[in-house]
Amino acid sequence: MKPWELFFSIIILMALMLSSALFTKGYAGIFIFSLIINGTMAVSYDIPGRSLGLISLGHAVFFGLGAYCFGIATSNGLSFFPAIILSVILSFFGSLMLTFLLAGLKHGYYSLATLGILIIFQRLFETLESITGGSAGLYIPETISKLHCNLLAAFLLLVTAGCHVLFSRSRWGLYSKETEASEEGAEAVGIPTRTVKVLCLLTAAIPACMAGVLHLARNSHVSPASGFSLTLSITALLASRIVPVKGILGPLLGVLLITAAEEIIWTKFEGFNHAWFGLILLFAALYQGIDFKRREKISAASEN
Amino acid sequence: MLAVGLSLAFGIMGVLNLAHGSLAVLAAILYKKSLVLFPFSPWMFCVLATPVFLGFGFLLHLIIVAPFRNLSLSAGVVSSLIASLGLALILEDLFVWWQGWESISTNITFSTFNLMGLKIPGLRAILLGMATVTIGLSTLFLKKTDSGRSMRALAQDKEAASLYGINPGFTSMGALGLATILAGVAGIFYSSLYPLGPREGLDLTLKALFIVVAGGMGNLRGPAVAGLALGFIESFAGFLFTYTSTDTAVYSLLVAYLVLKRGGRRQ
Repeated sequence: MKPWELFFSIIILMALMLSSALFTKGYAGIFIFSLIINGTMAVSYDIPGRSLGLISLGHAVFFGLGAYCFGIATSNGLSFFPAIILSVILSFFGSLMLTFLLAGLKHGYYSLATLGILIIFQRLFETLESITGGSAGLYIPETISKLHCNLLAAFLLLVTAGCHVLFSRSRWGLYSKETEASEEGAEAVGIPTRTVKVLCLLTAAIPACMAGVLHLARNSHVSPASGFSLTLSITALLASRIVPVKGILGPLLGVLLITAAEEIIWTKFEGFNHAWFGLILLFAALYQGIDFKRREKISAASEN
Repeated sequence: MLAVGLSLAFGIMGVLNLAHGSLAVLAAILYKKSLVLFPFSPWMFCVLATPVFLGFGFLLHLIIVAPFRNLSLSAGVVSSLIASLGLALILEDLFVWWQGWESISTNITFSTFNLMGLKIPGLRAILLGMATVTIGLSTLFLKKTDSGRSMRALAQDKEAASLYGINPGFTSMGALGLATILAGVAGIFYSSLYPLGPREGLDLTLKALFIVVAGGMGNLRGPAVAGLALGFIESFAGFLFTYTSTDTAVYSLLVAYLVLKRGGRRQ
């Protein structure tokens, strides 16, 4: 990461932390909180997305898992901190199981499997009505104040950004880049590719679980549709990809753009929010194709 | 029929088209809307709508295949997957805006008949026959015609096929056109059996993908067998557990199959 990228990333993070303390109520409070939660999702998504080149369509599975673990623990009488500890432990094992399953898959198969898992969880949590409240979802009483919730969310974003930087600079980050370039090559030089993938996916899954916990703690409600949401997964994917800047600055700028645009669409073009996401996805994919052709032309010209 | 179209698109172009089910929903909406103007029979509508769906297929080719032609296979699959997901989301919102939240049901009726003491619903028997004929014709088309042979050559080796004078762009456009026609026909008849919601396109695609993945990508007979298996799984899951658990069972099998069959393999 270049020094100016780090500088701007720190500025954005500090601005978000300050806003989370200043704006806790009303529309501004909700907007800042959703910016921070989307930011956590996007930065955590970017860890395997950037280093392993994997496109997940089901990152929200971890978000929903965290939210439901916390919701079920709270509904059974646990107070805030014991419920958080329990949900971290349960989410960790859940995420470990899922990442272990997914670690063997690549490219389109990985994307397809993540989308499938997202739908399985959505339907499963709708079916298990006695535990999860069915399609209506879970309602929990307010466990902490909105200010504390905002501050915890901002702290989570900071920790996630730290994990992103540390992971990409650690030997595991280099291993994962090597794994993306050539799995056979990486294995030939003794890199444990499966362990690298599991570790990378797990580093992304835990912050997403915690984001789900804080989302439920602040909003007091989660349903299968809002917890295991395809829209949330796509928001994370888009925010991580839309700004072509490496490091944490890319997803942070992406989140500012996407969340602001999402708010405008919700209010001005009601009923077309999926179409809006679809349009950006389409352009993002087309840009990738155009960019590849451009790079190919440049390399052909330099060879001549 | 949906799965056969999807399999054709993946086998020849390496495209996992997530907008395939939305095209089926579009066909059902178009048929329902056309009934207000002209009382077409579904057969007549299928024949008349073929050029329209061929056109949609060509358009789809320009959006989700042509821009990614020069990418590597893995990058191309992911890019076309994202582009087609984008298209599916746009279409879903457009369907809701155009038709509302009301499910589409085309009410095609055929009388029940007796076969060796068994009462067989006419519509279901006709649909089974139609699916069999379509799969048979598609197999014949791929094996016996020049265009079909060109498509198969392209699926095996794009560069070698180009050296033999096959135009990859034109051939893959034809394959996607054929896949879109199959999706359209499937959509019209599916909506006669079950009401089809405007947002059910992605669900239909994922079920078809299960059939394609289980039956083998780029092969036409495998999906037909896997489609029958899916029907059995859905019926038994619905009978043994609850109606909502059928989707969980189907998607769990899809993921399990992907993890077991594709997980340990170099792709």
